[in-house]
Amino acid sequence: MSKVLSKTDSEIFKSPREKDLLSHITSTSLKYKIWIAVLLVFVVFGLIGYYRQLKFGLVVTAMRDYTSWGIYISNFVFFVAISLVGSLFSSILKLNKNEWSRPLTRISEIIAVSAIICAAVIIIVDMGRPDRFFYVIRYLRIQSPIIWDVIIISTYLVISFLLLYISMLPDLGLCRDRLTSVPRWKKKLYRILALNWNDNPRQWKKLQKINKILAITVLPVAFAIHTITSWLFATTWRPGWDSTNLGPYFVSGAFMAGAAIIIVAMYFIREHMNLGRYITQGHFDKMSKLLVLLSLVYLYFNINEYLGPAFKMVGVEGEHITELFVGNYAPMYWLVQIGGLVLPIILLLFKPLRKPLPAFVISMLVLLGAWFKRFLIVIPSLQHPYLPIQGVDESYLHYNPTWEEWAITISSFAWFLLIITFLVKIFPVIPVKKEEAFIKSNSNSQSDNDEI
Amino acid sequence: MPLLNAQEAEEEYQDALVTLSFLEEDDSKIIRATARDMEGNPITDLELYFYVQRTFSLLPIGDFINFTDENGMVEVEFPGDLPGDKEGHVKIIVKLQDSDSYNDLTVERIKNWGIPTPVDQFEEKRSLWAAAANAPIALVLATSGMILAVWSIIGYIIFILFKISKLNKVNT
Repeated sequence: MSKVLSKTDSEIFKSPREKDLLSHITSTSLKYKIWIAVLLVFVVFGLIGYYRQLKFGLVVTAMRDYTSWGIYISNFVFFVAISLVGSLFSSILKLNKNEWSRPLTRISEIIAVSAIICAAVIIIVDMGRPDRFFYVIRYLRIQSPIIWDVIIISTYLVISFLLLYISMLPDLGLCRDRLTSVPRWKKKLYRILALNWNDNPRQWKKLQKINKILAITVLPVAFAIHTITSWLFATTWRPGWDSTNLGPYFVSGAFMAGAAIIIVAMYFIREHMNLGRYITQGHFDKMSKLLVLLSLVYLYFNINEYLGPAFKMVGVEGEHITELFVGNYAPMYWLVQIGGLVLPIILLLFKPLRKPLPAFVISMLVLLGAWFKRFLIVIPSLQHPYLPIQGVDESYLHYNPTWEEWAITISSFAWFLLIITFLVKIFPVIPVKKEEAFIKSNSNSQSDNDEI
Repeated sequence: MPLLNAQEAEEEYQDALVTLSFLEEDDSKIIRATARDMEGNPITDLELYFYVQRTFSLLPIGDFINFTDENGMVEVEFPGDLPGDKEGHVKIIVKLQDSDSYNDLTVERIKNWGIPTPVDQFEEKRSLWAAAANAPIALVLATSGMILAVWSIIGYIIFILFKISKLNKVNT
């Protein structure tokens, strides 16, 4: 950082790195306040929709006997997918010693925490009688994939919190020590969360140890969470879901969406928090390449998922494929497959398009495609049951989400962004302290830790 | 032996008594219903309905219309191929309904005339579709094992965090 620190800043922060990565906590811009206000408007809009749903029941939605899982469940699957990004960075890239991805780890963990909270809440929103949620625990049937999902989501929620918290512990100590001019509640928060962190080398060693344990533990749990989510569908006898490919298909799609959301988050954080020095063009280049790789894997599973049934075109399975390929859902299907999958792969092969702005736009396409892909996985299958549909009201045959459903779904995104914004605002979004450097420097002497 | 469930009497209707007796001759099983008025006189030309209780509804048996004769009696053959419970018990129901002169009446008797049906152990066995208490042992062990393993690690990590909080600064 070439900027000369002001006297006050110099007193507070012991290095330019600290100033760069902590100063956003102490000041609040007008832009930030407007952003929060906009998100709150969407939240209120969603709360009105949910109030109506609670008052009148699920009849205010377009869900009926056949399409009993609507955009709430599509959205749930999307959030679960997004939450896998935490394991991609905190486990896969970390254990493979990819140093370049280190500054992005916390962003990924924050997104994972926010996404898994929203996924858990969306499931309750989808319930007609949320007051009976605890019946799921009270009348627990371990044979039900829904119970497996409840268990794994709770577990992953705790692990995601731990991943974020543990890697942030040294920085929390730093916040406690440096940020003395913040409001009292923040000071108290840092003091409690910092857990008496004092850069003791033994603390670092213990932290490294549990970091490694968590990095290994999160991987099977992350795979399990999305595989089990796919089993909610695979164990239900409907066309399009009756597939052994569904687990890896979901997991690969999740990693692709996760990489895309990281690029989007990187772009916003870099642009609005002036962190271009820490989130570089090189990061966008590498993340774009990673996105291409993950998209190719997902494309492979897509081909597996559709080629077999499309080749055979058997019965209702064939009707389902026809509906997707040339029927009512064809425009959405081809936009998602081409615009959200094939095109991004091709575009990101070109270096100029791996720069921040184009990479951001392409990642947005991937994310949009990923959301509508979940819609295509959930809804058309439900509209083609194996038993014939007879003697039902016309409204049972179609599914067009009502404004209440859209309001609640959009508000879930507002909540998702609010949680991320809150966490990014009160904690350093890029790790300030580097553990390896600390351990090394402390092996010889008790040096000035803040200059690491 | 009368087993009567008389309906609430209305002024223009009378109560009737219907008694059931069961006869077994060679291979056939006969249900005989005898209808009498409250003075004990046989009621002739009274239409009675014969049923066997099934899982979800009543199965009509006998002729399409079953009238009592001059002795107040009507006989219906019990089908020989109806399944009963595990001991062959079936519930036989005789109804007097919509008569011009008599109140509605239902008489029920349980007889072991059905074909004994072995209890289907299907739902009581441990299986994926059984009740919660009958979950497959392998599934219970596998899921419990995995949950225990992961949550033990979480517990261990929280324990280490507690230990971290107890470590004081070096040189202080």
